[in-house]
This record gives sequence, structure tokens and C-alpha cells, in this order.
Amino acid sequence: MTYLTPGDPKRRAKRVRWLLVIVLAIFAFRLIDLQIVEAPKIDAISYSNRAVSRVLPAFRGEIIDNAGKVLARTIYKYDVNAAPDIVGPFVHKSNGQDINVTVDQAAGQIASLLGMQQSEVMAKIIGTTKYSQIAKAVDASTYLAIKNLGIPWLFFDPRPSRVYPNGATAGNILGFLDPDGNPLEGIELAQNSCLAGKDGEETYEKGVDGIRIPDSAVTTKAAVPGKEIKLTINSDLQYFAQQILTANVAKLKADWGTAIVIDAKTGNILVAADAPTYDPNNPSASPADNRGSRAFRTSFEPGSTMKMVTAATAIDTGKVTPETHFYAPYGLTIPNSNGYRVTDSEVHPTSKLTVAGVLRDSSNTGAMQIGNLVPWQTRYAYLQKFGIGSKPGSGFPGESAGLLNTTTTWSNDIVKRYVSTFGQGISVTPLQSAMAYQAIANNGIRLQPNLVQGCVDASGIMTPVVPTKAPVRVVSAATARSTMDILEKVVEQGPIGRYAQIPGYRVGGKTGTAQIIDPATGRYGNLHAISFIGMAPMDNPQFVVAVTAFKSRTVSNSLGATPIFKAIMQQVLRTYRVPPSTTKSANIATEWK
Amino acid sequence: MSTIRLSQSPRAVRQETASVSLRAIGFNGLTRSRSSRVIVATITLGALTIALLNLLLQIASSSAVYELSSLQIQQRSLATTTQILGQQVDSLASDQNLANAAQKLGMISNANPVFLRLADQTVLGKPTAALGTDGRVSSNLVANSALVATSNLTDLTAATASNGSATTPAMTAGTGSIPQAAGLVPVKSNVVTSGSTVVSVVSSNGGIPASPTH
Repeated sequence: MTYLTPGDPKRRAKRVRWLLVIVLAIFAFRLIDLQIVEAPKIDAISYSNRAVSRVLPAFRGEIIDNAGKVLARTIYKYDVNAAPDIVGPFVHKSNGQDINVTVDQAAGQIASLLGMQQSEVMAKIIGTTKYSQIAKAVDASTYLAIKNLGIPWLFFDPRPSRVYPNGATAGNILGFLDPDGNPLEGIELAQNSCLAGKDGEETYEKGVDGIRIPDSAVTTKAAVPGKEIKLTINSDLQYFAQQILTANVAKLKADWGTAIVIDAKTGNILVAADAPTYDPNNPSASPADNRGSRAFRTSFEPGSTMKMVTAATAIDTGKVTPETHFYAPYGLTIPNSNGYRVTDSEVHPTSKLTVAGVLRDSSNTGAMQIGNLVPWQTRYAYLQKFGIGSKPGSGFPGESAGLLNTTTTWSNDIVKRYVSTFGQGISVTPLQSAMAYQAIANNGIRLQPNLVQGCVDASGIMTPVVPTKAPVRVVSAATARSTMDILEKVVEQGPIGRYAQIPGYRVGGKTGTAQIIDPATGRYGNLHAISFIGMAPMDNPQFVVAVTAFKSRTVSNSLGATPIFKAIMQQVLRTYRVPPSTTKSANIATEWK
Repeated sequence: MSTIRLSQSPRAVRQETASVSLRAIGFNGLTRSRSSRVIVATITLGALTIALLNLLLQIASSSAVYELSSLQIQQRSLATTTQILGQQVDSLASDQNLANAAQKLGMISNANPVFLRLADQTVLGKPTAALGTDGRVSSNLVANSALVATSNLTDLTAATASNGSATTPAMTAGTGSIPQAAGLVPVKSNVVTSGSTVVSVVSSNGGIPASPTH
């Protein structure tokens, strides 16, 4: 029989102590290894398993009109996605009752809300994948309706989306974005640096249930929303002009039309309407040619509206007065031009007209004689001062400078010099034409056309974003007044101009019926660009309205444009509460005997 | 065994007992020991208190995080509702909706305004009745595919016919959780709209198109 011997308790205790020390040393070593040596690596692995990073999309700034009405804003739309690997029947609680919903029933409900076929939805939700997109960018109402179905295998991704509450009203100016939010046209493109915000980022740690862990480190870079762009456009007037223009372009069977309203004293563009145009909410529904603004970009030979420039130039250089006499025959041959003959639009006996009468009757032969009194170099310089051949600088992207041939071309081509007196051989955009008349309405000073008032930050401070151009003194105030008096006679007495009369107001303006070169033949065709540009009230013009219809087919002269001018000018005067005129026009003779 | 015990004299035992001398314990040592215990107890209690408070704070913050999460979900839901209502207001205030409504009501704009100058009591302009077709408001020709609501003027015109006895229509729940006007009928438009469901918003007694919510 063996008995346990008690041994030496002191030695035994000593051995246990050593054993404990060794074990503790091993633990300590491992602890140091984990906590210090490998700690960063382990932390990184752990953090990556827990941390969730997401981009905080920045909202794009709004575009507003001159009264603060929102023309473009950013809202959320939602992608509707499914996880096919967990698709199955589920229980939906409704009014306290549990309702079993099959996959077919759920697909039917989704399809009806999305305007899809049930089979289409089924095709997208059946499978073994973890992700399938059912619909992209649905509106908030639809999203909410689908969400309320309580389908556990559906999830939604919000995405910022641009909306234009007034549709095609000023759509030609606003521009639009591509599906990824990149600006493609108009102010959206030109002012992207102001409108675009800066995306933020959020990183946090989540638990198994997806809820943020308390005290977890959260790194947040806040999204910086974009700033606001304030336009000079009056959207109510813009809508009115688009309505009138759209109806009349259809009536005239014209290719397109433009209408511009300028505040004569500030150069602010109140209206820049195009027809046809496009709805920036759905730009792909319109042809690419209509997804811009011809008012800023398309130049054409303006025709008789340029006779105002010829008359103002001759008056300003002291060559004529509004009552200087001219014989205006039906046709004239340009000297040293191999017999190039210029005629008026209609056959008539030689008329005895003053300068005012030449513009009233829109005589080409009369305008040529007036222009020929001024050295062509001087007249060329005046055309430049009126803004012909240079970009207006409105802030709209891609605006055209039109065409003013070089002085070398003019010196070698006498026909170009002569025909420029009645608006041929040069080309201008509708905006350039309007600004030439603005110079007259503003007592001879041409201003920069303003489309964008500025970029407004969150504190309401507005910063100019379009480079400014100094005002240009084009003609003297006296010349401007004389030219205004002539333009008033056009509306008072002109065979077509009189259709622009507005009861109670003194109105001035000029008709234009410009021939259009047929690219196929290189010669003038049968269709015309018809225009009317005018101003009111003539005792101190506040507004300029310029209307053009290109290739009008039902009315071949400016009689087709005059009613558009009249309707828009009436609305402008009413909108801005301009009281009717109380003075009478200057007593200027238009004919002589 | 008993022999051995008897061999030892009782005196010797007494002597051995007498050799264990009693020693007085110093007062200072006793004090040090008691204060150490107080310190240890204080530290222990303090640590326990801190741990308990920390635990309570952890519980409180955990519950707050869940509450925060719930509130954030609620905030997102309300933001969605706000957006939907905002879009409806935008649509009702849009040029297209107003033009269509004006046209349906037979409104005619008078192109010849007349002004009264108070300074000298002069009437500026020639008063003319707005009866010509020139001033008639045309129906909308400008496309807007962002319209999500339009004015339904049926009740208003009926009310006008019955001497202004229109009643405000009852509101019923519509799509989702957003309240909509009763009788949601897509309104025909002369310009195609796409991509969204158009609902009509009925005018109230006052004649101003009413929002689906009050």
C-alpha cells in the first residue's frame, strides 16, 4: 500500500509559484503581441468589418427667376431594387391583421405601381443573385406607395434628381443634366461651378443588426450644397411669350421662332423664348436641334431691321436728319458691281421719301442711298459699336457672334458694303438685333445683355458670375431720340408697322423680311426670316421686344411677326404697370413734294 | 507512554509557558492599518460606482442610439412627405396648370389696362371691355412632364352655377400615406406629360385651388 507523502510544502509552493509565473509570462507575452505588436493590423481588420462608409450626396443649387420663383430644384428619386436570393412569401400587417402575401401577389402590386407588367417584375425578382434593379429613379409618391407594401426583400436607394417645376417654361435657358447628374446644356452647364455642391462622406461602425454602435468613431465630412443662380428672366412673361410664340409659329408653319424682351435701361433679358423648344424634365422627347436656344446661338441675315442702324449711323455722323429727302425708286444698280441690281420688295413708282419715310416703307433703295452717304469704314465701325460681329456676353453658353465680314472683304466687295445697309451680307442672332435696338432705347448707350444676376450663397450674398462689359456709347442721345422718332413713324404710318400699334401707348419699331440663302443653290430662296423689333413707351422706352419667325410659310412678310410683338409688348406693359402715354409723337415728315 | 508523561515535571511546563512573553502593540501601527483599509474601500467603492455609472450610461446611450435611429427614419419619412407635397404645390402653381385652369374658367385678359393717376385724378388709357377673342387665355401649349397635380375646377364651376354653394370635398387617403383629394381623376392635357401620375386637386369654396392637405 502506497501512501501520499506530504513532502516539503515549501518546495511545492515554490514550484506552483514558478508555474504561475511561467503561465503569466506566456499570457503577458501574448497580450503584448496582440495589444502592441499586432494591434494596428488587428484594429484595421476589425474596423473594416464594422465600419460603414457612405457618400453624402450634395444637393445642387436652385435656379430662380428675377422674382425668386424656382425654375430648377433638386429632389430625391428612388431606385427600386430587390434581393432575389431572399424573395419569398411574407406576412404583411394591415389594420392589425396578418395577411399572407405570395410572390405573385407582391409582383402584381409592384407592377401596378410602377406601370409595368407583372411578368416583367417577376423576371427581375426571381433568381439567386443578391441584387436586381426593378426600376430606376421613381418619384417619391411611387416610392412611398411601394414601401408601404412592406415587402421585406425590396430595398430602395435614394438619388438626387433635378426637376423643373415649370417644365418647358425657360427650358431653353435652363438646360438639363444627364442621368448621372452632369450638366449638358444652358445655365446648368454655364454656371455649374456655382450650382454644384461638394459630396460629403460618413463613416460609422455598426452592429450585427445594422444599428450604429454607441461611442463608435464617426468620421463625417458634411456635404456642401450648391449655391443658387438668380436669373434676370421673368418666368411669367417667359411663359406668356412661349405660349404666343408657339401658337404663331404653328400658324405660320415656320421652322422656328424667337421672342426676346429686354429691359432697355438695365440690359436685363426678361424673356428669351424659343419655339419649338424642349421640356428639361424630359429632354430626350425633343429633337437635339431644339435642345438649345436659337435666340442666343442662331445667326441669320436680319434684313430690314438693320435699316435702323443705317439711319442712326447717318444721323449721328451728321449726313442726314430724319427729314432729309431721298428719291426711292423700285430698283437701283450698285455701281461698279457688274450690274448687281437691288429692288424693293414690291414694284412701285419712285417715291419721294424722307429718312423717316424710307424706314416707314422699308425701302431698300432708299436705305442704300442713306448708307452710301457715310464712308464704309465709318459705317463698319458703327456696326461694330452696335454689337454686330461680337458676342453679346450674356452668360448663355455657346452664344454666337454672328458674322460681320472683315474690312478687307468689304474693301474688295462693293456689293457687300451696299447690301449691308438693308441687312444683307451680315448675320446676327436675335439677341444681337434686340441689343442694337436697346442702344437706341437707352439714349444711345448699348449695355451688356444680362441673363444671370449672380450666384447667391446660403447667407443671401450675391456674387456676379458673368464677366462684365463696359457700356458702349453707340450714338449720341440726340441721334437716339431722332431714331426713336423715326421708329415711331414706322408704327404710326407703316403699312405693316401699324399692326404693332397698342392702344394708349406710343410704340416704335421696325419690320424685317429677310431673304434666306438656300444652301443647295447658294442663292436666295423663296422663304423668309420675318421679324419685328420695337420698343415702348416711346416718350422714354423701357422695353425692347424682338420677334423672329424663320422660314414662315403662310405669311411671307413681317405681318406674321407683328401680332406676336404686339401681344408680348402689351403683356410686358401690363406686367410692369407702365401707364399709358400722355404725350404725342414728334412731328416728322415722311414724304416730301 | 504514561511513563514519559510522568517523567516530566509540572514545573517544567510552567517554565515553558512563562517563557512566552507578551508584547504591547503600538498604537501607530493600528492607525496605519485602519486608514489603509479606508483608502482601499474608498477606491473600491469609487471604482464600483464609476463602473456602475458607466454601465448606466452605456445602457442609456444604447437606448438613445436606437431612439435616434428611429427618429432619423421618421425624419426621412417626413422629408419624403414634404417633398411630395412640395411637388404638388409646385404643380398647382405652375404656369401650365394656371393657364389651363384660367382657360377652363373662360377667363379673358384685358390687353388695355386703364390707370388712375391719383395726383391729378386723371384716367390714363381708354377703358375697353375685354370681350374680344384676342385676349382670351389660350390653353397651355408649353410642355411640362413634372406636373403631378392639377386643379379640378368641376366643383368650382358647379358651385358658381349654384350661386356659390360649393362644399369642400372630403379628403381621403390616396397613394401611400400622403393624403389626396377625393376623386383623383387624371386630367387630360393638351400637352403630353409623362413619367408621373397626375392627380387633380379640387378647388375649395373660396375659388382658389386647394392643396390636397390643409
